[in-house]
Amino acid sequence: MSLEVPLNLKSRNLDLAQLSLCDAIDLAVLVEEEARDRYADFADQLTLHHTPEAAGFFRWMSEIEEKHRKELAERRQAKFGTQPSRVNLGMIFDIEAPEHGEARVFMTEREALDVALRSEQSAQAFFAAAKDAVRDPETRALFAELEIEEILHQRLVREEIAELPPDSPGNQEDYSDPPVQQ
Amino acid sequence: MTTTTTTGLGEAPALSPKDFNSGLKPIWCPGCGDFGVLSGLYRALSTIGRPPHEIAFISGIGCSSRIPGYTTAYGFNSVHGRALPIAQGVKLSNPDLLVIVAGGDGDGFSIGGGHVAHAVRRNTDLTYIVMDNQVYGLTKGQLSPTAPKGLKTITSPFGSLEDPINPLLYVLAYGAGFVAQSTPADMPGMTSILEEAIRYPGFAFVNIQSPCVTFGQEEQQVRAQKTHMKPLASLGHDPSDLQKALELAGHYGTELYTGVFYRNPEPPLSYDRLIRLRQDEMAKQARPRAQILDAYLQK
Repeated sequence: MSLEVPLNLKSRNLDLAQLSLCDAIDLAVLVEEEARDRYADFADQLTLHHTPEAAGFFRWMSEIEEKHRKELAERRQAKFGTQPSRVNLGMIFDIEAPEHGEARVFMTEREALDVALRSEQSAQAFFAAAKDAVRDPETRALFAELEIEEILHQRLVREEIAELPPDSPGNQEDYSDPPVQQ
Repeated sequence: MTTTTTTGLGEAPALSPKDFNSGLKPIWCPGCGDFGVLSGLYRALSTIGRPPHEIAFISGIGCSSRIPGYTTAYGFNSVHGRALPIAQGVKLSNPDLLVIVAGGDGDGFSIGGGHVAHAVRRNTDLTYIVMDNQVYGLTKGQLSPTAPKGLKTITSPFGSLEDPINPLLYVLAYGAGFVAQSTPADMPGMTSILEEAIRYPGFAFVNIQSPCVTFGQEEQQVRAQKTHMKPLASLGHDPSDLQKALELAGHYGTELYTGVFYRNPEPPLSYDRLIRLRQDEMAKQARPRAQILDAYLQK
């Protein structure tokens, strides 16, 4: 996957060049929050559609993203206290969160890990681009730190993938589940 | 009307996309394009800044018509194909409501097809979002009105013999003032289009190529759309040019153009505004209460 992610496909109403350090930490918190919620949504969808292994992995990813979010939120609180935020969730799109279209009925754990790997690569690409776009040195240092973290996360996901047994042949989507009532 | 416009980093919108999420979990197939549309709607609405109690979602029947239940706004999941007449009634009875109609291509252009023309020519101020997947997904994959000619499905194993309806040309031909198309493959672009459509003061139509992951074709999926979608802005299209909009819309089914095809630069008064003006005018001519029964007397 190319790490060249056009910024206009990942954000809206957001001028990265104007970000202060406080804005950047707030943005990073939102990135983790969006990923946490998306993984939790995927886990719910796949639980409903009888895909427990991938659902379990996405639930675990959601917990990891929440841990990262909490750490960043604590840093933000310690440095900037109750200073109002100038960014919100409406400005970002699938930076570390997997895209909505990535989930599939009966996807394997390996496919779920591939989704997570692509998402970590997407986040790395965004933070790398953001690092180059910002003017403030402290903000640039934060984005550089986040970029490195995403590289470390990719390594962890790759290690998990390496430990998995190979997928069985055949298209799992051929065994789609029956409709459910809500 | 309360609105908050967010640009750059001036001020974050007062409302978050989460304020529009009802918390009810969608039962769409994992990977369905409608998840992206719903997410884009939450974001567009948070930017517009109208609180959920000032918004009503009206829908018909189909996968995408479940949207009202997934929002905190007022909602009416009505009967098949009848979302537009109900939405017009809602708007006329409470013109201050922001009314959004959501549904699929079958609901809109087959079962409810006759209503579209009248909603367009009447120009009631509402936003009609069609999640176009070229198939009846909820009933397991039959041909829909926008299904391409030759498409083979479980109930048409030898392929469709019919040409598809072109929803973009359809609404343009009846005089819609705002006509756009997008896809969840471009989330920021789709969100901006939804926001612009909702803000348009009249009937606004957005066709969203929202892929069906279970019964749709491979080339309709988000990953494929990313490779072949063509933003109209990149072609230098001027949305006030109706003739060019008609020409571009004619490529529906062969090219995936995204963006605003047509936006009337001088929107006429919407039907609900005209009715309000007529009501105000007639109120001036109304008989005094004491003479109200005189209308029934022969003089």
